[in-house]
Amino acid sequence: MTIIFLLAACSPAAKHLTPAEVAALKPADAHEAELYAHSCKACHAVPGTGAPQVHDAEQWDRRWKKGDDVLLSHVILGFKGMPAGGQCAVCTPNDYKALIRFLADKE
Amino acid sequence: MQVSRRAALIAAGAGIAVAGTGVGGYEVATYEKPEPPSPPLTDKDGHLVWRNWSGIRHSYPSERLAPASDEELGKILKTAPAPIRAVGAGHSFMPLVPTDGTLLSLDQMAGLVRVEGDEVVVRAGTRLGDLGPALASHGRAMANLPDINKQSLGGALATATHGTGKHLPAIHGTVTGLRLVTPQGLVVDCDATKNKDLFDAARVSLGSLGIVSQVRLKTIPNKNLHRRVWLENFEDTLARAEARWNAHRNYEFYAVPFTGLAANITHDETDESPRPRGPETDSQFLEALKGLRNLFGFSTAVRKRIAHSVLMMAEPKAEEAVDQGWKLLSTERPVRFNEMEFHVPAEEQLTALREVVAAIEKHRPDVFFPIELRRIAPDDAWLSPFQGGARGSIAVHCYYKDEYEFLFALVEPILRRHGGRPHWGKLNSLKAADFAGLYPRWKDFNDLRRQMDPGGRVLNPYLKGVFGV
Repeated sequence: MTIIFLLAACSPAAKHLTPAEVAALKPADAHEAELYAHSCKACHAVPGTGAPQVHDAEQWDRRWKKGDDVLLSHVILGFKGMPAGGQCAVCTPNDYKALIRFLADKE
Repeated sequence: MQVSRRAALIAAGAGIAVAGTGVGGYEVATYEKPEPPSPPLTDKDGHLVWRNWSGIRHSYPSERLAPASDEELGKILKTAPAPIRAVGAGHSFMPLVPTDGTLLSLDQMAGLVRVEGDEVVVRAGTRLGDLGPALASHGRAMANLPDINKQSLGGALATATHGTGKHLPAIHGTVTGLRLVTPQGLVVDCDATKNKDLFDAARVSLGSLGIVSQVRLKTIPNKNLHRRVWLENFEDTLARAEARWNAHRNYEFYAVPFTGLAANITHDETDESPRPRGPETDSQFLEALKGLRNLFGFSTAVRKRIAHSVLMMAEPKAEEAVDQGWKLLSTERPVRFNEMEFHVPAEEQLTALREVVAAIEKHRPDVFFPIELRRIAPDDAWLSPFQGGARGSIAVHCYYKDEYEFLFALVEPILRRHGGRPHWGKLNSLKAADFAGLYPRWKDFNDLRRQMDPGGRVLNPYLKGVFGV
């Protein structure tokens, strides 16, 4: 049975914050907060989208270990379920770096 | 723990597959191809790459701009480096967006402007996922929504994006007025009485007349919908589909190749109290179908027999939910894909589908995604695929890591033979002469386009091919 559920496994939902707390999170910087609201939030603050949820250490820590360059490349070029550019047409590489740090709670 | 029908399907499908083949089978079933090749992050001039949602289109815009007003947008259209192309969520599979000139985002031009009785005025940069709750806060709703909620309203209108329902038009069919900012920097309002030709042309216009910055939409009262999802034999679904389109407000089905099954989905208005839908499980269903493909793709007969048996072993009860339409009609699509979709005359839809399924099951055992069937009411926008009569859509998907080029040789000829018009944002190989034969007002549109954009400032190379420039 374990194998069955491994095969059908999906990303776990955020465990440490309530949905309301997740929905209320936003970057402190106004510019980043605006970009986050227009682009990242639609997936990274909505359980079930497959995206690692904002400030969920369990989901982010193993990704964070890949390093800045790998994460930045995955965001800009797309990776698995992550669409290229995170659907932010006007984000710069520095914006992306700041948003990754915010999402992973590594600010 | 109560196991939902689809969760049971997933477990059954995956379990049988693994039980039949052991740990080695598990590895085969869950095998993931590597990511497709990526373009460089930047070009030789240091411009950052833009790539569409599925990853098959890219470009290196020299400018990326996000105006906050019609005036600012007008200045950009008049003076910024061409081609000037607007992007929303980048969900188009055709190269409508790629530009080495200016990439335009309307994210700063988003939100509900005002409610006018049964109508609402909305800025075109609004994402569909944000529109639902904004309307709901005023007791209003869109009568219909497309499958994915990430698109911008402007992008959805420009490509004639649609939902399903025999009596429900595509989103642009609910537009009663719009504001266009032209390539010459002018701001023009139009509706059925004022600048009517421009209104009929601009409702579906691929960003080729300028940028639609806001629209007035018809809405309906925000009533709860009752959603039902169930599996049944493909042949039974074909026999009952027309009756279901007649009976339900929204009806669609997915033909599941290599299973002999179809997944049916209905939505109907109800006074019942909400029963939320629960976590998204479509991705798990796709994983199970991919696993069956990986394990049994060597034999269509074996794959079909096993898939049909294990998927039908699940409980016979339909999956049901009651909630506001915007929470049910559009879904999250975390699994990326490429897609070809044509809109054929409604009476041709099921015959064409049979041929498509037969062709795929005969020639493409690598396909595992279901094929989506929807019905759309007619409207009178000049470049609307639904102009002139009701259409049935047939959408064939390929996992983003799998080949999709075969669609042009295998599937497109079938859909064209049945009188299909391609979805403007989805894979097709048609050129100007083809479109001229499909749309009675093609010449009128092109004449108006030349008048609005004499310098071709909003045409990228793909659109020049579309319009024969």
